[in-house]
Amino acid sequence: MLAEGVDAQAPSQKPQAAASREVVVSAAVSLSDVLQQLAHTYQARTGERVVLNLGPSNTLARQVAAGARVDLFISADEAQMDVAASDLVPGTRVNLLSNQLAIAVPDDRPRRLASPRDLADPAFARIAIGDPAAVPAGVYAKQYLQMIGIWPAVEKKLIPAGSVRLALAAVENGAADAAIVYHTDVATASHAREAFVVPVASGPPIAYPAAVVRTGANPEGAKRLLAFLQGRDAMAVFTRAGFLAPAVREK
Amino acid sequence: MNADIRAITIFTTLAALAATAVMLVPGVAIAWLLARRQFPGKSLVETAVSLPLVMPPVATGLILLWLFGRRGPLGALLARAGIEIVFTPAAVVMAMAVMGLPLLVRTARAGFEQVTRRYEQIAETLGAGPWRVFSTITLPLASRNILAGAMLGFSRALGEFGATIVVAGSIPGRTRTLAVGIYSFTETGQDRQAAILLAISIAIAFVAVLASNRLARER
Amino acid sequence: MAAFDLDFELHQGDFTLDFQVRVEGRAVALFGPSGSGKTSVLEVIAGLRAPRRGHVIVNGHVLFDSERHINMPVRQRRTGYVPQDILLFPHLNVRDNVTYGVREGTRPDLRVLVDLLELAALMDRRVASLSGGERQRVAMARALYSRPDVLLLDEPLAAVDLPRRRRIVDALLGIRDELSVPLIYVTHLPEEALSVADWTVLIDNGRVVTSGPPSEVMPSMNR
Repeated sequence: MLAEGVDAQAPSQKPQAAASREVVVSAAVSLSDVLQQLAHTYQARTGERVVLNLGPSNTLARQVAAGARVDLFISADEAQMDVAASDLVPGTRVNLLSNQLAIAVPDDRPRRLASPRDLADPAFARIAIGDPAAVPAGVYAKQYLQMIGIWPAVEKKLIPAGSVRLALAAVENGAADAAIVYHTDVATASHAREAFVVPVASGPPIAYPAAVVRTGANPEGAKRLLAFLQGRDAMAVFTRAGFLAPAVREK
Repeated sequence: MNADIRAITIFTTLAALAATAVMLVPGVAIAWLLARRQFPGKSLVETAVSLPLVMPPVATGLILLWLFGRRGPLGALLARAGIEIVFTPAAVVMAMAVMGLPLLVRTARAGFEQVTRRYEQIAETLGAGPWRVFSTITLPLASRNILAGAMLGFSRALGEFGATIVVAGSIPGRTRTLAVGIYSFTETGQDRQAAILLAISIAIAFVAVLASNRLARER
Repeated sequence: MAAFDLDFELHQGDFTLDFQVRVEGRAVALFGPSGSGKTSVLEVIAGLRAPRRGHVIVNGHVLFDSERHINMPVRQRRTGYVPQDILLFPHLNVRDNVTYGVREGTRPDLRVLVDLLELAALMDRRVASLSGGERQRVAMARALYSRPDVLLLDEPLAAVDLPRRRRIVDALLGIRDELSVPLIYVTHLPEEALSVADWTVLIDNGRVVTSGPPSEVMPSMNR
């Protein structure tokens, strides 16, 4: 089910035509489901259309940097938001959400993990993570492995996947013995189970920054939408999907 | 069939057809030049045309993004005229055309090279000027290969993902193609939707490539 | 009757063709063994090859002159060319092949050609379905339809089997006499040289050995 949150527009319509009544949002793919729900709600409430452009955060950041007409940018980590830093409206950057890491295993070979350090055990021959060079989830996974001190032991066992979803898929079809993904991802998996949830305090700080883009056509609309997303109703939807309230940070 | 899936399929097919139409004349012209003429910088042209074929599609997409983004050399010019390409269906067509062009050029060039120059020479002895020779002799004799090349370009356009998602984004109802849709659905755990789109993509591509090979072979 | 003033040097790999002929005639035969350069002579006259130096003048028209830097493009030369492998356009039928070459200001009479070359029954046929002799005649008609100043033929009887050669020879005579189109043709068969030409040029290994009326040149061949 593809709840768009937008009326399906005819491909020939140019963005400028509906500029004042629509907000273009570039958002990390991991937020797809939940943002589609919220966009639907927002449109019903305010009449303003939300157009979602979903993709990998690094691609989205590049698009913003190239001057694409985006109103709001929600990234899956600070690093990608920094890439677009000079194109953001000053003072609008906020930390929208947080998340937790989780370790997923195939559901036909369920393992108990007494401790995440068990990943260093030879029983876990292949561990899938998002590519730490490109994907926020991979960056977080690497940070976590370093934090718990097993990075040197597992580094050679890692399978860097093109996205966190692909890391999860590797576990689902048995290509990997475990994967480090987001807690919110495991819920969608059909053949994987969550073996361990990383407590927020022991994991890397995960942030989903959001900011209004300077070169968008509708900055006011973006601010309104951002305010909505930070409000209580929206947070209820986010937390129901497994996301966490943003950690308090100085930025 | 789900209305959204139908919409995605129709949009992708129309965009790929548009892309094929866009790449046709330049592609045939370049193919003819490469087949028939020597000129300084010829190997540069050959290489440039082949690049989208060998580069990662995302890299091609990034180049297009840089070119046509509002700060880029071409994008700035277009913006002054009020035209924006990035994030519109036009960007989808452009990405598809750029990725499909090398295949069209290759196949069409082979077609022209197969037409022996001697037919063209005979036509010249009969008084035909260059345009007449091209349109009445060269083009008809190469037409099968050109058509095969166009179909190949069409298939490539249909399956295009890497460049498209960079320069056109993944905006449902506006720039979401079959390939981008498959990616999006997969990423959000909607595997069933992804599988349907995948099946449709394979079916269309299969038919197009099969027809293309048949055409190229018969002669 | 046509005036040919040909004097040129053509290089091709290791092979050099050194050709001089000045003659007036209705039909000139270029006679010699294979590899002697005969086909190249036709290609030079048609403009498909450019000599290194020399001149090609037909009926006073300078088609090529290296000293004056003249090299008339092929399509302006008004030379009809029938190559040895004939090369009818495969995607056109007989009628469209024959009528391909319309030059400005000429309204050629198709019927005369069709009658002379006996093509009436073939006009709507596809090229692929024709026999060797039929293709030869169609190719000749195609070259003639554009009203050339001279008709160049490369081994016109080669593609035709023995019994039907008479037909082609008659066609050549008809072209020479009834249509009054001058001919230059290449052959390696003595009887071809004798039957149609009023001037024969003997070529061997890229050089003109001798040239003159067939009766003089040909007997010297019989060793």
